[in-house]
Amino acid sequence: MLKEKDFHLHDPTWCAGCGIYSIFSVIKKTAAAEDMKPEEMVIVTGIGCHGRLNNYFKAYGFHALHGRALPLAQGVKLANTQLSVIVVSGDGDAYSIGLGHFIHTVRRNVNLTYIVVNNMIYSLTQGQTSPTSRKGFVSSSTPQGSKESPICGPHLALVSGGTFVARGFSGAPKQLFRLIRKGIQHKGFSLIEVLSPCVTYNKTNTYDWFKDNIVDLDQKKEYDFRSREKAWKFLNNKHKLAIGLLYQKEESSYDELVLPAKDPLIRSPLQIDRKKMDKILKKFE
Amino acid sequence: MIKDISVMIAGTAGDGVLFTGNVLAKILKRQGWEIVTYRYFPSNIRGESTNYTIRGSLKKIHGRADHVDVLMAFNCDAIFEHITSVADGGIVLCEGQEIVRMKPTDLSAKTFHAFPMRALSKEKFGNEIFKNMILLGGLCHILDIDLSIIAEVITETFLKRKGREIVRKNIEAIHLGCEEAKKITEEHERHKLKRKKDGNRLLISGNEAIGLGALLGGCRFFAAYPICPATEIWQWLTHYFPDHGGLVVQTEDELAAVNMALGASYAGVRAMTSTSGPGASLMMEGFSLAGMTEIPLVVVHVQRVGPSTGMPTKSEQADLMQWIHGSHGDFPRIVLAPGTIQECLEFTIKAFNLADRYQCPVILLTEQDYSQNFRTVEKFNLSNVEIDRGKLLTEEEIQGLKDYKRYEFTRDGISPRALPSMKDGVHMVESNEHDQRGYRDESSHNRAKMMSKRMRKLKTARKDLIRPKLWGRKEAHIGIIGCGSTLGPISEAVGQLGESGIDTKFLQIRTLWPFLAEDVEAFISTCKTVFVVDNNYEGQLAQLVSGQVKPKRDLKSILNYSGHTFRPKDIVESVNKAL
Repeated sequence: MLKEKDFHLHDPTWCAGCGIYSIFSVIKKTAAAEDMKPEEMVIVTGIGCHGRLNNYFKAYGFHALHGRALPLAQGVKLANTQLSVIVVSGDGDAYSIGLGHFIHTVRRNVNLTYIVVNNMIYSLTQGQTSPTSRKGFVSSSTPQGSKESPICGPHLALVSGGTFVARGFSGAPKQLFRLIRKGIQHKGFSLIEVLSPCVTYNKTNTYDWFKDNIVDLDQKKEYDFRSREKAWKFLNNKHKLAIGLLYQKEESSYDELVLPAKDPLIRSPLQIDRKKMDKILKKFE
Repeated sequence: MIKDISVMIAGTAGDGVLFTGNVLAKILKRQGWEIVTYRYFPSNIRGESTNYTIRGSLKKIHGRADHVDVLMAFNCDAIFEHITSVADGGIVLCEGQEIVRMKPTDLSAKTFHAFPMRALSKEKFGNEIFKNMILLGGLCHILDIDLSIIAEVITETFLKRKGREIVRKNIEAIHLGCEEAKKITEEHERHKLKRKKDGNRLLISGNEAIGLGALLGGCRFFAAYPICPATEIWQWLTHYFPDHGGLVVQTEDELAAVNMALGASYAGVRAMTSTSGPGASLMMEGFSLAGMTEIPLVVVHVQRVGPSTGMPTKSEQADLMQWIHGSHGDFPRIVLAPGTIQECLEFTIKAFNLADRYQCPVILLTEQDYSQNFRTVEKFNLSNVEIDRGKLLTEEEIQGLKDYKRYEFTRDGISPRALPSMKDGVHMVESNEHDQRGYRDESSHNRAKMMSKRMRKLKTARKDLIRPKLWGRKEAHIGIIGCGSTLGPISEAVGQLGESGIDTKFLQIRTLWPFLAEDVEAFISTCKTVFVVDNNYEGQLAQLVSGQVKPKRDLKSILNYSGHTFRPKDIVESVNKAL
């Protein structure tokens, strides 16, 4: 069985203290715990600081276009369902330029694990307001404070037919490990948003800020992740960011529904049976 | 004896114009004639004027004719709109009340048959639904078409979908129309069509042929977003893919379509997407990604009239430059332009092989004209379909390779390709500039080498591309260059000009990019005058030719951007005027 270090290709060069270090480490740990092999994994990333992740990770990797990681990853998974496909995006990638794809992937319910690194700012472009920045957020693009309401990804996933909705915090790696692992085990599309401070550009949403503003549902005995209403209630709380497994339900995934054959598409024969072809041509006579 | 006939069916969207035309096309095909259909439809489901012309010929044809010989009209407006297209000696079949409102000049040299199709339908069936079949029956009498052929076509069309009763009623309606025509036409007003053996032929549209080509070419993944006039490709594949281990996905937009196809191709499936103008604009971003990551991808672009939403159901050739120069950055791409249905099939199969061999995007640039319309073709020979996956490594080949490089610098520019799941092939695919193993590398030294490697593939590909085709006598000194749908009108114009003593020849460009300049230069060097025919405003093909051939030559552009395709006479007139 492989260990965390077997998935480590290079030491990353993200800013010291960035929340993504913990996410990187948790994904490697989860891969080892789930007995994955580098050749059976494809990590697809979008554009943003998170996008470098697969350059440091020992597995097949695809650094896709800004916002388009999900459609690309769906193509990979549908072509070869035997692969474990993990997609990593940032808040800009997932909820701004890729928002349309996000909602449609949720409702399509393709068997992917989607990790959204939410630092509430655009960092790779040096500090602009992001779709998850709070109203009033001051940044280089909104020096007078953002006038727009933030987007809540887990909320959108919940109303779009999401079957696995979770939120973690990069400052709580043990819980994050559990969430990502459950997400990988989930048959269908799993969203794990990770609140992850940017130590260089976001001086508002710091580790301490997050600690003060989160509520951990995994600690609440009465919380039932099978209840959509409860998830809805907690996500509606404007003052506290709920973390933990928010919602999960069992439902056939898209790949199960459209690909009944045992063999993945990549093994479909390329030649067409002559008799079948003659039958097809008959229609044009 | 009639050797060529064009029948226009005109009415309002919702009248059943398309259906009537399709039945007529099949009937004429069974009569042994060559068929070209031409639809001129609004991008609307009901309410606007629409027409559909079925051309039959005893010789091979590739496009619409100069004139309409028979106009079958469902309403007055259709007559007023199209009467000037009807040739002298032509026939008009209509309800009748229109005739009294026509100008005497419009009536001259044409035969009008007042045909009470609505009244007959109402009397016999209690509603007007069967007016089309009654009118078609009238035409069949005039053209002396074997009623058994009609019964056969009607049965094939309706039996499975609508049942015996509907078949019976439709055949009855055709007989009724036939009887009515006997009453109102004189024997000398009939134009009996010659009957030939139907033979081993198909009646098929370009979009269907591309679907068929994809299936035969080993495509097993298709993702697209609905758009006119490309959707038939997708609809065709949804019928046949499930049976052959293929998957069709309807995506949320064209951005997703191109990226999903790319993801599937990266994983190892032959993948395709199809689109038209606005969708192609959205795909530009993914097009560049395919070029950078060297993943095979086939995109079918069925051109429609632009710019913007333009005229979605009409034909144009104004997107040549979009794929030749489109998207950001320099990257290798191959753009093919089929001109016949046979080529739609062959080029599609070839496109998948080219994409795999050169690990780059391959564009099939077609046009609404022959994509949504039907043509007769010789039955495809399917015995020698070649599937070549290029430098795709097998699990055995890669086993034990200690230092696999996905983007290895090679002499021909093509690097060995491993697929996810292969144990010793683990690598990175980067949309950023990358090193030989695929990992991000923005150093200038690597950049220059990697860029040359990628672009070198096109040089390697040159010998494998589809060369231009010469039509007409090579001794002629007047040359005409065209691509795609202009093949029909140009090849006919060459014939017509020849009859009036003007010797011309035609070069059909079949690979738009990389541009095979040597072949075009050789053609041009034998010409005193060169015309380039473009179904667009800016003369995009002329610009391409003029920018690529040496020495620079004066080219005479023949342009059309009316939303219609060229007729042969449009080209004949332009050539005559310029000489």
